[in-house]
Amino acid sequence: MTTSSARAGAAIAIRTEGLGRRFGKLWAMRGMDLELRAGEVFGLLGPNGAGKTTTVRLLAALIGPSEGRAWVDGLDVHTQADDVRKHIGILTETPGLYERLTAAQNLDFFARLHGLDAATRAGRIERFLRLFDLWERRDDAAGTFSKGMKQKLAIARALLHEPSIVFLDEPTAALDPEAAFIVREAIESLRGAGRTIVLCTHNLDEAARLCDRIGFVRGSLLRVDSPQRLRDGDGVPMVKIELLEPLADKQLAAVRATPGVVDVGAGADPHILLVKLGDIRRDTPATVRALVEAGAGVLGVREEARSLEAVYFEVMGNRPQLEGLAA
Amino acid sequence: MRLSIVATVVRREALEIVRNRLLVASIVIPPVLFVALPLALGTFTGDSARDPGGQLVAQVVASRPDWASLARDQIIAAFVLQQFLAMFLIMPAYVPLSIATFSIVGEKQTRSLEAVLATPIRTAELLTGKAIAAVVPGVLTSWLAYGVLLALAGLILGPALARVLADASWLAAVFLLGPVIGLLSCVAGIVVSSRVNDARVAQQVGGVVILPIVAIVMIQAISGYLLGPREYVLATVVLAMVGVVGIWVAARLFDRETILTRWR
Repeated sequence: MTTSSARAGAAIAIRTEGLGRRFGKLWAMRGMDLELRAGEVFGLLGPNGAGKTTTVRLLAALIGPSEGRAWVDGLDVHTQADDVRKHIGILTETPGLYERLTAAQNLDFFARLHGLDAATRAGRIERFLRLFDLWERRDDAAGTFSKGMKQKLAIARALLHEPSIVFLDEPTAALDPEAAFIVREAIESLRGAGRTIVLCTHNLDEAARLCDRIGFVRGSLLRVDSPQRLRDGDGVPMVKIELLEPLADKQLAAVRATPGVVDVGAGADPHILLVKLGDIRRDTPATVRALVEAGAGVLGVREEARSLEAVYFEVMGNRPQLEGLAA
Repeated sequence: MRLSIVATVVRREALEIVRNRLLVASIVIPPVLFVALPLALGTFTGDSARDPGGQLVAQVVASRPDWASLARDQIIAAFVLQQFLAMFLIMPAYVPLSIATFSIVGEKQTRSLEAVLATPIRTAELLTGKAIAAVVPGVLTSWLAYGVLLALAGLILGPALARVLADASWLAAVFLLGPVIGLLSCVAGIVVSSRVNDARVAQQVGGVVILPIVAIVMIQAISGYLLGPREYVLATVVLAMVGVVGIWVAARLFDRETILTRWR
């Protein structure tokens, strides 16, 4: 893909082709093929050492690839690294603030490095400090801030030059629940602003809540899908219907004949019916109606989905065995 | 290289330096001593009775014939004053070393460099900014202290000894060798800081750059031989060549990838 053709495809914010990076003989990431749409929130999930930070560093043009290529906003991360860095903002694993400088001085330094003029600098610094509720503390040294405040200041730093793509490397790691909530709210607001976000996280709930798609990584990109489709397994949504009594054959036939029903299965409990549907919202009422009209007693209906944790261990293939802990 | 970016780095370094009390104290206090001590010793040691045989005076005049016109007391005072020339080389050596090590080890500890390297800054601009911020305070401090010493020497020790302090050897040492030692010291600070995570350890290891200066003091004190301007200019050239090699090494260590993947 040439730069011009990548640029022409404006809807693609990030594209990688066989991207890989090796340190000595060890491959941290290999064979990554990925396309991210502009405005998408993409989660990178994987254990420590899976290659998440290496991937972010590759895409942020901080380190070069050992093989393959990548384009960010249509710019080649290897040959146009300086230009790529103008288009991206990055929240590193640790806030990495200058602790003796005030919040405003920290932001001013980075705004200058991005070449913003004095008036723009002043305006942006005030806007982002107010956005993250730090304006009143602007003249305090960053070293006096709480972890959550430091993280917010670091996010403000990543956004100062209004990058089109933002990389957030474990933004809520090591934060208390309140600080993590504040940071997640900040990320939600970025999503609303239409930025492309790459979010590295260990937090499965966070990924499910914030991301449009999730990529599981462990030395390579193992699987990519939306949180919903990952939970749905084969992609077909399923409802779990709790029955007053086990179904008779004619009642089961009535369910199978209902438009939108893809498959019907029984659970281990004969009072449970698992029904795969074409569309949950559209087909669930008709399915329940068919059951009731066939004389079945329905106690409850709820969407049945696997937890993202179950998907995670399925993809990673190593669910921890805990039997020994009880001994 | 964009000067505005270099200036931005220098400005940030300066803001951090002035907020680091330990660093400020280590920059400000020694020059006061280096000015006060030679004035005090120049005043109280200018006594030829301490050299009854005249051997020291003869040795000193042999290496500095231009001092032959001075009185015997003044020759001894001038000899003592000349020992302090090395102090004015130590200033541009330890200050850049302290600043460079505090700066780089500090950035490693707070992990602030990755965010900086993710901006459009070039590593040469970052390295240059850090080097300027480290070298300039040490060199300017030594120049300022030298100016104050000259002015006070004229008032306290008299014009003859003040002229000794303003001769070619002092000028070559303070204005040529001093900045080169500052640069070398800064390079040593950068190289050592890339390998360790404690500023004090970095300073102790990087402190080897002060050894040649200590050697100058020892040679002069023991032999009575005084280095002249020619020796200082020669030392400047040699150390500048060492400095060029050091800059090449530092520039390689200051590569974006090296910082992110190898600095520990």
